[in-house]
Amino acid sequence: MYLPDGYTTLEKISENDDHILYDLFFGPNHPGMHGNFGYVLDMVGTEILKVRPNAGQLHRGFEKAMENKLWAQNISLIPRVCVPDPDPNEVAYCQAVEAIMGVDIPMRAKYIRSIVLEMSRLGSFLMGMGGVAGALGHYTTMYLMMIDRDLILDLFEALTGARVYHIYNIPGGVRRDIPEGWTDKLLALCDRLDQKLPEWDRLLYENPVVQDRLKGLGYISASEAMASGITGPSLRACGVAADVRIDTPYAAYGEIEVGINLSGGGDALARAVQVRLDFEEAVRIIRRLVAALPGGDFKLDVGNLAKLRVPAGDAYSKVESSKGEFGYYVVSNGGLKPYRVSVRGPSMPAGMYLCHKHLRGMKIDDVAVWMASFAICPPDIDR
Amino acid sequence: MNAHALTALKLTGIAFGAMSLGLLFMGLGRIVSARIQRRIGPPFYQSFIDVIKCFTKTSITHNFVMDLGIIMALGGLIATAFFVPFANFSVLGSSSVVIVLYLMSIGYLGMAMGVSASGNPNATIGISRALALMLGYKIPFVMVIMAMILTYNSSDLLTYALAQNHGFGSWHIFKYPLGFIAVEIAFQAMVGEKPYDHMIAPAEIASGPMVELSGKYLGIGFLLHAVQLYVETGLIVNLFLGGAQTWYIMMVKMFAVYFTTMCINAVMARYRIEQGIRHLWIWAGSFALLQLVYTRIWG
Repeated sequence: MYLPDGYTTLEKISENDDHILYDLFFGPNHPGMHGNFGYVLDMVGTEILKVRPNAGQLHRGFEKAMENKLWAQNISLIPRVCVPDPDPNEVAYCQAVEAIMGVDIPMRAKYIRSIVLEMSRLGSFLMGMGGVAGALGHYTTMYLMMIDRDLILDLFEALTGARVYHIYNIPGGVRRDIPEGWTDKLLALCDRLDQKLPEWDRLLYENPVVQDRLKGLGYISASEAMASGITGPSLRACGVAADVRIDTPYAAYGEIEVGINLSGGGDALARAVQVRLDFEEAVRIIRRLVAALPGGDFKLDVGNLAKLRVPAGDAYSKVESSKGEFGYYVVSNGGLKPYRVSVRGPSMPAGMYLCHKHLRGMKIDDVAVWMASFAICPPDIDR
Repeated sequence: MNAHALTALKLTGIAFGAMSLGLLFMGLGRIVSARIQRRIGPPFYQSFIDVIKCFTKTSITHNFVMDLGIIMALGGLIATAFFVPFANFSVLGSSSVVIVLYLMSIGYLGMAMGVSASGNPNATIGISRALALMLGYKIPFVMVIMAMILTYNSSDLLTYALAQNHGFGSWHIFKYPLGFIAVEIAFQAMVGEKPYDHMIAPAEIASGPMVELSGKYLGIGFLLHAVQLYVETGLIVNLFLGGAQTWYIMMVKMFAVYFTTMCINAVMARYRIEQGIRHLWIWAGSFALLQLVYTRIWG
């Protein structure tokens, strides 16, 4: 058992009146915890000696539930796998279904999907950056970001009829076309978000207290990140130029330029800055997608979705979400429902494995910040 | 009415006045924070509603020590309020800053006793942070007070306040500018606002001491903070901002101090506890030491 210098082993604690080892339940009922998850921390004073991830408290059972629902019904279930960034789940699932069916959806549908994915990314980044700020007690930044996130949700509502769970992507494309004047509103929002960045920089990223708190926290090297399965902004923050949108383009990402910017420090500050860089790039991508948006159909006619039968086969589809790679492995036996669905979420490596190394020796002060820096989203662990 | 009864009446008035003024400040402070965060915020009387509501709720206590500790904390802070001159008025005649600093600690010790008895580790960590932070801000604060004692050969707050009654230029903020900066930094920690809100820190220790307080205990917790605001803003006004000759000028100055604190609070994140103490010692401590040395040699 690892023990920092100056502490006795567990067996000796009973003989040592100086140190008392106790369990602290950091979640699921804790303001610093993100959802139905927790860490049981073995602590001496305020220092963590050992960590036990306490998963299994989200009793929905997504993967098993999907086996009992129609192909189209699952689209209302899977956004729940990641509440702040729901659309990557819809797209990954639909792409897997379409791959098994062997259909290619219209180009306009691909562009609309990409726009929706980038909007979802922006909303999630705002929540993520606000989450880091909130964990540091910097609530002003968090509130300001939530204002702008609400404007994104307004546009989602106009497009899909829903604010949080959009249930917009379907096998074959998207449910409805872009309404008249909607893209103008989207571009106006992009302008506003661009103008907001300097304010957020001053409030959050250039804030000396924030830098003092984040610098050096939860450092992870590029090789360690790759070995442990870290993806997305957290991997790019280690200096690795990896992005599913570039490496294996899907939807309309192969048609437009997707830039990649690396913060490259490997610590919590680098991860926070990486999200900010990705945010800026996502705004640029939306502008490119809107400028190149083709006409035509927004969905392929695959018949009555309630009676959809997907031919026997299997497919794996992955997308770049705001937290990393989201993958759906779908198996069909030719029936009205999936035979098996397996979800690969981006939160598992940090949330379940890296925590053992990183949280050990850490003070209780940094647990919530560490989690927020990796954007750990428990439902994709408890799926 | 005999003199003792009259004094008791005045002290009761101060106790309720301190609680009311503190709650008013808390309400206004919430509006200030909300406006900075581009929210509307609650009405200014929300804190009064909160306390009244808390006192009508069922309370859970763990043991007698918890009850005693919470009452001791409120008693200690109310006793401190008696010694802080309000608009050049002190009921007890004496208003020694040394007594004020001493009695203020009783409030925290009472809180420590109460919440430690609850057995919740979050509460215990929170209160241990508060006591550790006290080391951070008390040392610079005491150094500034020593500079004033060297000048006036007195520790009486009323003496300090009256010495500043000769116009704007006589305020100690100009006479002890470094000391004022030191105390302003320390004040941020004294009232537990960011970057020094380690005692509460919701994302870290689930609101610390407040986590085990329910019903009337939470109401007393609110009142504790209200009296604390009265005492600490009153202290700053008497020490540096010329005291006040009328009650409304005193209230405006006290709120100005709190307003500044809330503005800083709104744009700052929270230090780690050891960073916070280091920051206080290095910055507030340096300014206070420079002020003390300057006053000793040239003052």
